[in-house]
Amino acid sequence: MSSVVEQHHEAGGEPVQGGSAAAHAASIDMRRVLHRETHSSRAVAAVIAGALVIALCLYALLEFAVRAIGQPPWLIDPQTAAERITALPSGMPPLLLGAAGAVTAAAGLFFFLNAVLPGRRARHLLDNRRIAVVVDDEVIAAALARSARIAANVTQEQVMVVVSQRQVVVNVRPTSGSPVSENAILQAVEDELQAMGLTPMPQVTVNLSTSGVVGA
Amino acid sequence: MTGTPRLLNRILLGILGFKLLVIGVLLMLLAAVPAVAAWWHSWSRGVSETVTGVFEGTQFPGRQGSWLWIVLALAVVLLIGLMVAWIAQQGKGRTDLLLAAEDPGGVPGDIRIGGGVAEQALKNALADRPDLAGATVAIYDVKGQPALKLRLHPRPGVSPQAVAAEAADLVDALSAVVGQRTPVLVHIAAGARTRFSRAERVR
Repeated sequence: MSSVVEQHHEAGGEPVQGGSAAAHAASIDMRRVLHRETHSSRAVAAVIAGALVIALCLYALLEFAVRAIGQPPWLIDPQTAAERITALPSGMPPLLLGAAGAVTAAAGLFFFLNAVLPGRRARHLLDNRRIAVVVDDEVIAAALARSARIAANVTQEQVMVVVSQRQVVVNVRPTSGSPVSENAILQAVEDELQAMGLTPMPQVTVNLSTSGVVGA
Repeated sequence: MTGTPRLLNRILLGILGFKLLVIGVLLMLLAAVPAVAAWWHSWSRGVSETVTGVFEGTQFPGRQGSWLWIVLALAVVLLIGLMVAWIAQQGKGRTDLLLAAEDPGGVPGDIRIGGGVAEQALKNALADRPDLAGATVAIYDVKGQPALKLRLHPRPGVSPQAVAAEAADLVDALSAVVGQRTPVLVHIAAGARTRFSRAERVR
């Protein structure tokens, strides 16, 4: 692609910046886009909830239709069902009733918490002058683990990094017999974080394990 | 970047979750507490008598049966339609047009540039890189304007800021070709493909 781009640069000079199209393009609110990108859309929960309601409605519709045309019910007649519900604690083992209640309440809690909690995803914004960048925390952790590993001069398996919204925890198990400087690791990880320019910027904690790894 | 109706999702999920929670807690209390069972009996008997009265007041003129059943069935059909419409709203917003503009020159006609241009150009530019395990390009319609989403999968240990800087260069080059600055979102993502690939040791 790069060769094509260079030719265009030479032939066409500066790209067209003016015009209504470019002005419109700049009108997209990037902050809104970034907020949407770092928060869950709850699409999965919504599809599950919708499918659940549709399944219940289809069954109810079947029984209603059967009732309306005067045929015998498929599983239970709506009127009989209503009578059984009014009589509830009797006619059903209490253990089964309690279990059904617990399952229903757990499903309700799942949907309710999905709606109420902020739904923040494990992502950070990365500072870039020209484009909007979102980074998964896992990628950040891998990059920080690499710099910590080089600073501590240990293998990949001896470093574990956990990245959360406002905190980075670096766990290092040094090789037995070779000293490791905690400050050097902290400095290396903080330098890498500064270069990334994350929003929000997390705090770094380094944990050196007291027991070393033999023969690494 | 999709047009998922987030506020609607939260409201509907909240309503459904709250209802299920109340029903579940009521069932558990009915099974465990006798006082609740007594209250439920007196309350539900009153409700069921009212409902039976309503059904008896809505009999078909000529024959046995209430026309309320048909009304209920229609209401349930309406609810099913609304739920299908809700599910169909999730994750939509992909488009296939990168640019649609009027040609200011003397030749009559419009200009349209398909999304395949950006997709092929960026994918080809990123294909040979050893530090990337994969890249996908998608174009979304954000409030009537096309926006580009570039998802990059770096191998474990690659600095995200280096990937972002190179992506910015590519995007600049693309906007020079297309002649318009398209809003771009770069998502540097981890996925199954990066998790099981080897780390890049030499760079």
